[in-house]
Amino acid sequence: MRRDLMEILVCPVCRGDLELEVFEENEREILTGRLTCRSCGEVYPIEEGIPNMLPPELRERR
Amino acid sequence: MVDVYPPSEDTYLLMRAAISEASAGDSVIEIGCGSGVISASLIGKVRSILATDINPHAVRAAASLGIPAVRADLFHGINSKFDLILFNPPYLPTEDGLDLNPEDDRWLSTALDGGADGREVIERFLKGVKNIMSPRGRLLLLISSLTGLDEVQELARRSGFNTEIVAMERYFFEELYVLKLRRAE
Repeated sequence: MRRDLMEILVCPVCRGDLELEVFEENEREILTGRLTCRSCGEVYPIEEGIPNMLPPELRERR
Repeated sequence: MVDVYPPSEDTYLLMRAAISEASAGDSVIEIGCGSGVISASLIGKVRSILATDINPHAVRAAASLGIPAVRADLFHGINSKFDLILFNPPYLPTEDGLDLNPEDDRWLSTALDGGADGREVIERFLKGVKNIMSPRGRLLLLISSLTGLDEVQELARRSGFNTEIVAMERYFFEELYVLKLRRAE
């Protein structure tokens, strides 16, 4: 995901703001990272450049 | 095993309606993007495009076509307003369950299964979609006669939308429709 996507992502559970941690990034986009809700503390992974904004109960299916 | 709903008649009907509806200034979101071919057809024709799907294989497919993609349940987790919203929902009624191999084709089933009346996902979508719709926003929704045209239009009205049929195609067992929804005055 590109960094400017952060402007429109919120926690799907409580609509809180998200804090971004980047683990891996290239010149275009964030490849691996983590979004943490500042309100409820839920964590959303970024994998293969794609943020996973599913609430925990929907996240496990592959 | 089918991981992503392959582009089909409904995909292309919604794609043609989207291309004809979209204008250069539009910010666009496609909910349930599947393979991503509809969003891909709008690249360069609109101001911005974003795609979501609940299926991890679908968002990877969309991203590989160059579309910013977010894995999400409908639009939950997206906080922005869009001028054009596209949705080809799971619209088939499944009273007896879909006749698919539940292990192999579970994502295909997610793409098709609209619940007992075919309208469960559409109903949930219509309840919240105004939160991501700009004041001049338009929404294109694909449904089948099997989903119930009158029933979906009634649901849309109850959620505060005017509806208009902008495309229709007839097949052996069903008609496919693209409905255009706007906020009721």
